[in-house]
Amino acid sequence: MSTDTSQRPPSDGAGPRTPRRLPAAAISRPRLSAAPWAMAGAIFVAVVGTSLGLNGVLRGWSWLILVILTVAAVLLTTATARSLRVPQAGAQLLGLLALIAVLTELFFSSSAVLGLFPTKDTLDALGGLLRQASDTIISGAAPVFPDTGVVFVICAGIGLTALLVDALAVALAMPASSGLGLLAIVLIPALIKPDSLGIPGFLGGAAGYLLILGFGQWYAPPGGTDQAATRSTGQFRRAAGLAAAAVVITALAALLVPGFSTGTFPQGSHLNAFGKVSGLNPMLTLGNDLRQPGGAGKLVYATDASSGLYLRTTTLEDFSGRSWEPTVRDATQRLDLSAIGDDKSTNLGGDLLTTITVVESSDFSTPWLPVPYAPASVSGLAGRWSWDPETLAIEGINTTSLQQKYTVRSVMPALTSSVLSQAAQAPPKALDPVFMSLPKDTPDIVRQRTGDVTAGAQTPYEKALAIQNYLRGPQFSYSEQTPVANGYDGSGMDVLAKFLQVKSGYCVHFSAAMAVMARVAGIPSRIAVGYAPGQLTGATVSLGGAQVNEYQVDGHSAHAWPELYFTGLGWVPFEPTPGRGQVPSYARLPGTPGAASGRPDDSLNSGLNVPAPSSGTGSASPTPVVTNASGPPAANAAAPLWLSAAGATLLLLATPLLVRTGKRARRRSTLRTAGPGQIPELAAWAELEELAYDYGMPTATGDTPRTFTARLLRGPLRGGQPNVRLSPEPGPGAGTAGTAISGGPETGPGAVRVLLTAYEQRVYGPAEAAPEEPSAGGADSPAKEPEGTQHPLLEALAVVHRALRAASTPGRRLRAELAPPSALPWNRGSRAANRPPSKPPG
Amino acid sequence: MDPQNHTLTGQPVPWPAPAGSVSTNGRAPDGSGPVTAQTLMTADQFQDLSRRILTSINTVIDGKARAAEIALTVLLARGHLLVEDVPGVGKTLLAKTLARTIDCSVSRIQFTPDLLPSDITGVSIYNQSTQNFEFRAGAVFANIVIGDEINRASAKTQSALLESMEEHRVTTDGTSHRLPEPFMVVATQNPIEMEGTYPLPEAQRDRFMARISMGYPDRASEIDMLSTHQSVSPLEAVRSIATVREVAAMMDIVDAVYVSSAVKEYIVRLGQATRENTQLRLGASPRALLQLLRAAKAHAALDQRNFVVPDDVVTMADVVLAHRLILERRSASTGQTASGVIAALLDGQPVSPARSTRSGVQR
Repeated sequence: MSTDTSQRPPSDGAGPRTPRRLPAAAISRPRLSAAPWAMAGAIFVAVVGTSLGLNGVLRGWSWLILVILTVAAVLLTTATARSLRVPQAGAQLLGLLALIAVLTELFFSSSAVLGLFPTKDTLDALGGLLRQASDTIISGAAPVFPDTGVVFVICAGIGLTALLVDALAVALAMPASSGLGLLAIVLIPALIKPDSLGIPGFLGGAAGYLLILGFGQWYAPPGGTDQAATRSTGQFRRAAGLAAAAVVITALAALLVPGFSTGTFPQGSHLNAFGKVSGLNPMLTLGNDLRQPGGAGKLVYATDASSGLYLRTTTLEDFSGRSWEPTVRDATQRLDLSAIGDDKSTNLGGDLLTTITVVESSDFSTPWLPVPYAPASVSGLAGRWSWDPETLAIEGINTTSLQQKYTVRSVMPALTSSVLSQAAQAPPKALDPVFMSLPKDTPDIVRQRTGDVTAGAQTPYEKALAIQNYLRGPQFSYSEQTPVANGYDGSGMDVLAKFLQVKSGYCVHFSAAMAVMARVAGIPSRIAVGYAPGQLTGATVSLGGAQVNEYQVDGHSAHAWPELYFTGLGWVPFEPTPGRGQVPSYARLPGTPGAASGRPDDSLNSGLNVPAPSSGTGSASPTPVVTNASGPPAANAAAPLWLSAAGATLLLLATPLLVRTGKRARRRSTLRTAGPGQIPELAAWAELEELAYDYGMPTATGDTPRTFTARLLRGPLRGGQPNVRLSPEPGPGAGTAGTAISGGPETGPGAVRVLLTAYEQRVYGPAEAAPEEPSAGGADSPAKEPEGTQHPLLEALAVVHRALRAASTPGRRLRAELAPPSALPWNRGSRAANRPPSKPPG
Repeated sequence: MDPQNHTLTGQPVPWPAPAGSVSTNGRAPDGSGPVTAQTLMTADQFQDLSRRILTSINTVIDGKARAAEIALTVLLARGHLLVEDVPGVGKTLLAKTLARTIDCSVSRIQFTPDLLPSDITGVSIYNQSTQNFEFRAGAVFANIVIGDEINRASAKTQSALLESMEEHRVTTDGTSHRLPEPFMVVATQNPIEMEGTYPLPEAQRDRFMARISMGYPDRASEIDMLSTHQSVSPLEAVRSIATVREVAAMMDIVDAVYVSSAVKEYIVRLGQATRENTQLRLGASPRALLQLLRAAKAHAALDQRNFVVPDDVVTMADVVLAHRLILERRSASTGQTASGVIAALLDGQPVSPARSTRSGVQR
């Protein structure tokens, strides 16, 4: 007896219970308990996969393990909480606490209690780390060295992102919008550095996102009456398949869309997996271009000058901010290129040096035109260009240097040491003060050094020479990596201070140092950005009747150099960077060897001072003829960028419309040529339902065909009561079933009734009793219309469509026609809930 | 088949029968032979006849077109009708009018607490002259039996009627006597809260195809009623419209109504939903679903169709199912009604199989 009772389930004693409720609960439990873990796995793959893209802006992979630890801790916590059926808000809160704990453990374990709980010291340490991170982020150029501060910020940010994605995908049940969180991670490398979102980041993020979408369908939160029946493997497959197709299309479209080369983030918006688009965003990308192993882009020029030329794109003169920038020039300061003329800052009284240069920019893409100093006229350009008389920079108006070929005539005073040393002491009043201003936070070390270096110099020329030669001196070394390794890459006053201590850097640092020191010494200065002369290609080009040398410039030649203002002479370039470019003749001290050509790394100077070849064939045309082309120009045509971008946007926006139109077209063809297995009445009915959905009359779960049409007739198609209820007075002489139609099929209500009758007859009526066709040979499909005439159902659909349109507000009409709600993916779920788990008749 | 079944006659009693008595207005339904529709009826004739029957009923009872429809639907579906409402709203009048519209035998039983089962079924009496027991048919032997205030009789008497409703035959002393066809019981019932009532057990309520409430007439109908009913009952003016043979033919047409598998499946899903619903203690029985299907067929025929659409089921679901479902006590205490549950079930149950078929169309 005692054994009997012990085996009884305790619920038996609790009173009478209805047994039929148990199975439902028993089925749903195991199904749901796996969901948190699967979802957490998907989110983990998505977040960590996307963060692989950060490798483009961080050096090495050492940071990744910390990111993985952080994300895993957060997601394990939320998943555990969910499987224990903690409420959604609680799970999120626990996830946040886990994030704080794991960050404390990883970064502040020394100051925390048990290594997990932050204390006041932890907060102080946190402030230090944040300062360090912000310094690195502001001053560093990608890829930055992942110091503790940066890694901490990345771990915290990605941990929060994981929490956000988790909230979107699980708690709020909006898996599709979890892409927003992932986008935040993707944006970092995409904005900071061109082409830095690599293939792994893209693939990892996409794969994780697809998983989230798939599981989101699979574990949709219970809702509706038949939630168990709506989940199926088919849905997972469909969702994942659709999303995968979208990813493939995106990847293919990326090859076609050229990306953006102007604006705030040139090339930053473009996933460029298969090629390089070069360009020069002043300072920010210069270092990157230099460090590019293959060199980015290629530019070819031929000049009648005796040696290679510096090609200038723009200048930096505003040193007041955290990094140096071109002065913001409004439209009034920029003239149309047609106004180009002689450099107004120069007193062109003395000897003039005029050079003609032909530049072929092929795949160089920058908004500023690379031209030799000082451009007096430019011809052969496509697109609209502006000219700034202050800086002599030529900037494109919605156009870039991509695939341009142009001829520049440059005019410059013949500068010699004697001319320069006679220059006046004081700068002219007319000069823009921006060229002289120094920020308040100019470090003391800069002033000290300037004082030391220029101690014995009298004239501005002597001071300038002293500064240049100090920087070219033996203490300084050229390195593209040292600033990155020491965390002072970039531009700005504090970077400059560090550079003067470490004494190692590249052109950005040298030119900036000279420009700032010149200002301290009282000489107006600016930094010119562009390209060093580059290398001879060996080919010669016929130019103006003479054979001239051709030079090639690539990303490795990217350069910055200071220009100092001498009254009466204008802006005079100097070359303080050791091992780069060539020191102009006027800037060499008689006693020194001048150009640091003796340095072993001075490879750029080799072959530059080649004498111009003797004139050859003597062509009269000023247009150069490339006699030995180094290769055809890159094949990608310079289609208007905005056109393809707008096209892609339009295509995206039109997707619902296209989906809808495609569906409609397929149904119409079903109606026209009812093939085997195709049921025109069902197609027509489906079309009617979607039409109504688009116009704001969705079908409800319990709708019968008649209640649905009755609602249509009560609402937008008002004009008659449908034949829903058995009428007390059946129509006189109404013999055939379902023919009691008031109002002809050319009216909205009549057309709806035609559709209703056909549909009911087809779905519920006896197959052989179709009124149009006396059952001949057991034909299953109803009467086919003779060729050429519209199917009556098609006509009825058109009538209903017109009636719905006429009864709608303009806004509703526009939405229904351009972005039909029935084709929007987020509406599919609610529509799918209507689907009964039944099989079609027959 | 026992030919005697169809030749039974009761004592002719003038219409209407006095209250409290058992009376039969039996009439031999058109000579001999089973009343099956040998005469084929066209759809036009069906519609014409049904429209005239409904019009006739509506002239007597103002503003109760829907009740009349359901009564005719139940008749054509070979079911029995339970009319439940407070006294004085025209329950009996409806039953009488329906019976009178059809030219058939009618009997009316006023159920009282002292009514005996044999008053209904009949009794075997020893005939002195033939030296034999002779069956004297009870009131139930008629085409239309009006059971007035059925819940005032004792349970034993009630069950005597209800058994014959299901079997369409009466068995006394080992002999079974077949009831005339068509056979329909229209019972009226006062709400169970009223005094002196014996509520019908669930099993017996299940035998009625449909239960309707008359409800109070609307304002205009009530004014009409006051003017038409003040002196002479309009019932007197009702002439019979359809013969028994015609009604049988109409029933045959209803039987021939096509039911697609989609509709059958819909009915079954509805039934399962009532059984799984947590607010209900007792769901719909298979017999209930069968009766729902038959009612839907009759409704379809009256709506000029030769096939059933889900709307027929939806329309008949409440009147067919509501009196069979038993609410959980806590649901009942919160004011929930069986009709409310059914309405919610209908709203939540997808109807059209076309939505799943549609994906097939699109492929």
